[in-house]
Amino acid sequence: MNCIECQENISPYLDGELNEVRAADMRAHLSICAGCAKICEDFSVILDTCRENVPSEIIPPNSQALWCRINNLIESEIKPEIIPEQPKKGLFSRGWNLTFSQAGAGVLAIALISSLLTVVGIRNYFEPSREDFTSRSNASQTTLEKFFSKIGLSDTPQQARERRIKEQQEAIAYWTKRVQERRGQWDVRMRDAFDRNLNMIDESVSEYTIILQENPDDDLTGEMLDTVLTDKMDLLREFSDL
Amino acid sequence: MARVLKNRFFIILAGKTTILLLLSVVFFFAPSDISAQRRFSKTYPATRSVRLKLSNRDGMVTVEGWNRPEVQIQAYLETPATSVNPRVVDGTIYIDMVKENYGRGEVGGVNFTIRVPRDASVDIETKVGNLSVSNVNGGLVSARISTNGDITLTNISAKVVNAENGIGNIFFDGDLQESGSYRFRSMSGDINLRIPFNSSFKLTATAPSTRSINLGYFSSEDLRFVSDGRRVTGQVRDGASFLTVTNQRGSITFLRR
Repeated sequence: MNCIECQENISPYLDGELNEVRAADMRAHLSICAGCAKICEDFSVILDTCRENVPSEIIPPNSQALWCRINNLIESEIKPEIIPEQPKKGLFSRGWNLTFSQAGAGVLAIALISSLLTVVGIRNYFEPSREDFTSRSNASQTTLEKFFSKIGLSDTPQQARERRIKEQQEAIAYWTKRVQERRGQWDVRMRDAFDRNLNMIDESVSEYTIILQENPDDDLTGEMLDTVLTDKMDLLREFSDL
Repeated sequence: MARVLKNRFFIILAGKTTILLLLSVVFFFAPSDISAQRRFSKTYPATRSVRLKLSNRDGMVTVEGWNRPEVQIQAYLETPATSVNPRVVDGTIYIDMVKENYGRGEVGGVNFTIRVPRDASVDIETKVGNLSVSNVNGGLVSARISTNGDITLTNISAKVVNAENGIGNIFFDGDLQESGSYRFRSMSGDINLRIPFNSSFKLTATAPSTRSINLGYFSSEDLRFVSDGRRVTGQVRDGASFLTVTNQRGSITFLRR
């Protein structure tokens, strides 16, 4: 018997579970091997101590289950559970190990997106000019503007014009109400002059509106419509303070 | 009895006559608010490059350049209660008939005749009435009528000229200076521009309803009609100044000076 076999059989030996032949071999080896003899002696002391001093009240109600848990715990410490690594999927499956061309393309893409966002931000921040709103048509749109329109970042010329006209009409409604409150204070000459000019402006508004309905891409008419609506707004605002 | 009655009659007649004469003397020499409000006149010493800013309600405004270093304001008021109160702030003479008379029922028309140094800047506007500016060569000449009225600008030499009205004609007779800006807008009426033959300008002239744009002497290959003849764009000579003319429902005519 060698040392390994002896150490494996120490516990059954001490418990008296080995057959006579095997127990004889153990005794023979322990008599000549100081190391194994020492281990066996230690085990024996432990067993004796346990048998003599274990109080009955600490014995768990289900000792087998407890031992199972302890056993599992010991096994987990000895052999930690290895979580099988899931294969990574998608763009970053290789982490940040990018080639030079990939990095360059990424930088270019970021620069392009930043530029586009800056352009859109500036366009939205500053009040768009009359030209942007009403006098632009599909024909006079730049490629960039068409692109913005298609992806929904900006209005189409028709949408922009309609939005602008709606805003102007709202302002006109407000100032008209103010004028109605004040016009009782004016003399006849002032009232006549105001009404004549307002009618003249309204005629132009109607004329340009009809032209735009027939030809939405008519830049000049869009510009003129915006001009006369602004004139109407100015006229109403001026006379509301009279 | 008859004699007594006759004497009494003469005494009464003499008394009444005396009273009437006394009343006439009193009313003749007494300061009368009514007569003072009918005509307003005031003269201000002018600083160099003085500026006139007038906002009238109703009435004609005539501004003339003269050779004196002073500004003379004369106003003729239809309604005595109308208030005229010019203010001078930092070399600018302000007359605001709209604010001055806000809330007053019958303001009536006020006709102004104002004389300014030739190098003065003139910025005048009215709600109704004609505007006329002549012999001025300051930095700015601006005339605006909110509704009805003609604008006449004669012998003008300014770097910035604006003329705008509702229903009425606009006539401009003057120079176009290098890098100057000249803008004429009307809702309905005729716009006539009389400029020197050697004028240099970039032009945008628009007459969307009538398509009546008469370039006259200034017609050239560099000026082209666009948008079905509703607009003319281009430049004359070097395009040294900017000329923008818009007439919604009237004509535009260029005349050689």
